[in-house]
Amino acid sequence: MSALQNIFKVVSNERLCPRFYKLSIDAGAVAKKVQPGQFVHIRVNDSFQPFFRRPFSVYRAKKYLDVFYEVVGPGTKALSNKKKGDDVDVLGPVGTPFTLPSKKAKQIVMIAGGIGVAPFLILSDRLKQQGFELVLLYGGRTKGHVYPMKEFKQNGCKVFVATDDGSVGVKGRVSNLFSKIVPDPSTTVIYTCGPSPMMAAVQAFAKRYHLSGQAACEEVMACALGACLGCSIKTTSGYKTVCYDGPVFNLHEIIFENTH
Amino acid sequence: MNLSVKIGNVKFLNPVTVASGTFGHAEKYYNLEEVKKIGAIVPKTVTLNAQAGNPPVRIAETPAGMLNAIGIENPGIDKFIETKLPAFKKIGVPLIISILGHNDKEFKEIARRINKIKGISAVELNLSCPNLKHKTLVAQDPKATSRIVKLVKKELKIPVLAKLSPNVTDISLIAKAAEDAGADGVSLVNTFTAMVIDIEKRKSVLGNFTGGLSGPAIRPIAVYMVHKVYQTVKIPIVAMGGITCAQDALQFMIAGASMVAVGTYNFVNPRATLEVLTGIKDYMKVNKIKDIKKIIGSLK
Repeated sequence: MSALQNIFKVVSNERLCPRFYKLSIDAGAVAKKVQPGQFVHIRVNDSFQPFFRRPFSVYRAKKYLDVFYEVVGPGTKALSNKKKGDDVDVLGPVGTPFTLPSKKAKQIVMIAGGIGVAPFLILSDRLKQQGFELVLLYGGRTKGHVYPMKEFKQNGCKVFVATDDGSVGVKGRVSNLFSKIVPDPSTTVIYTCGPSPMMAAVQAFAKRYHLSGQAACEEVMACALGACLGCSIKTTSGYKTVCYDGPVFNLHEIIFENTH
Repeated sequence: MNLSVKIGNVKFLNPVTVASGTFGHAEKYYNLEEVKKIGAIVPKTVTLNAQAGNPPVRIAETPAGMLNAIGIENPGIDKFIETKLPAFKKIGVPLIISILGHNDKEFKEIARRINKIKGISAVELNLSCPNLKHKTLVAQDPKATSRIVKLVKKELKIPVLAKLSPNVTDISLIAKAAEDAGADGVSLVNTFTAMVIDIEKRKSVLGNFTGGLSGPAIRPIAVYMVHKVYQTVKIPIVAMGGITCAQDALQFMIAGASMVAVGTYNFVNPRATLEVLTGIKDYMKVNKIKDIKKIIGSLK
């Protein structure tokens, strides 16, 4: 009954680097509507295996709707088998988007871990040529996890990379790149997306320098419409759904913890 | 073609509804013209006081289904009436309000508050949520089921449905207890208590340790339970348990259900409820059935 659910055609499904794929969908209407930070909920096949749809941040929305994904389980494996011309069942765009920076912001720092880089290309597409200094701090496990940052550089982003094994960029975590920026509480704004321990480090960094920020979260999700309340996370104002209240939250509202 | 069914003295234009906890934010996300076609809406269970719900992780994907342990996160009955009910009423589809009390007094108090408001077609008593750390569910005990149904019936003029648990030895005994206590219908089944283990951590995946299994994986068991209950009670049955399409729903109706609810599958295909309705109409057309009542309990 959702007006947001539609069947579209796959335009292309390319492997961009050893770990990451880009799926382009001929979904101009969705691409036109989507705001940075929002996501689409994709049914990867018609069977009950896997059972859930899979949520993907929108990576780019120009003529086509692009999602950027890593093959990590049966859902993304099935998605990687989609070929040009195949049908794809898309629900979206859904979720609360990033709030774009106000005019007084100068330095926009995007901090991403692994596939968490996905929502930042569309964000930088919207923020380029507006006088902001755009910085991307990007951490990945190894070289295979780091997609060449060409598009970000074309958008005028300064890109700094860290890998756990040092195969590209600085050796270590993305937090080793914090020293690359000179933050100013009144003009620096943080946007982050990645694994929880990384975002917790970003939150601590932002707190130390009194920086405002937003974080795009990820959780296992069933409905993506705020109905099942299955994807809730802990925040300073109680449990909030990642799909409906998020995925973008005020960075300082999220309570990062191991639930087990 | 007559698709209407009755529960107590309330008529529903068609037998297709949604299971509690699976329908949300219609005003923002759904095509309301389409939603208006379904027979009834059952919002998520409401308790007397607000509940925060269980700690994450709250859901897990399973073969042809899912586990959930949400823990009835809800704003409490007063806030529900004030902030959520108006949007549901605006849709214009009959509302069946699902309620849960943690004791007799709470059930009674919620019923009283519902009695004061207009525009509610029926109440469903959630006697069977498996995720609230109660030692026994109301719906695992015929005496407790009878007691709760009786006390709510005393407060309410509108029909009362008892939602039953499949986590019992013989569900028909509980259904009979509900009928004898004056219930206008029974809803079945709620979820099956289940767990998934993370073998690396050697821990249960869910924050609540156990959860409730739902989805197509449980459907054949649910169909059997509806069949069994239909042979035991005369009151209408609202059936749910892994319905994904009209063919699934028709199995439940042939087994004896007067109404059918799409639950978990709404998460996979938000259009499923409507497709079930369209498919039932098609089935009636093809089989030249003029009245849906000819399908209900027609198992040979």
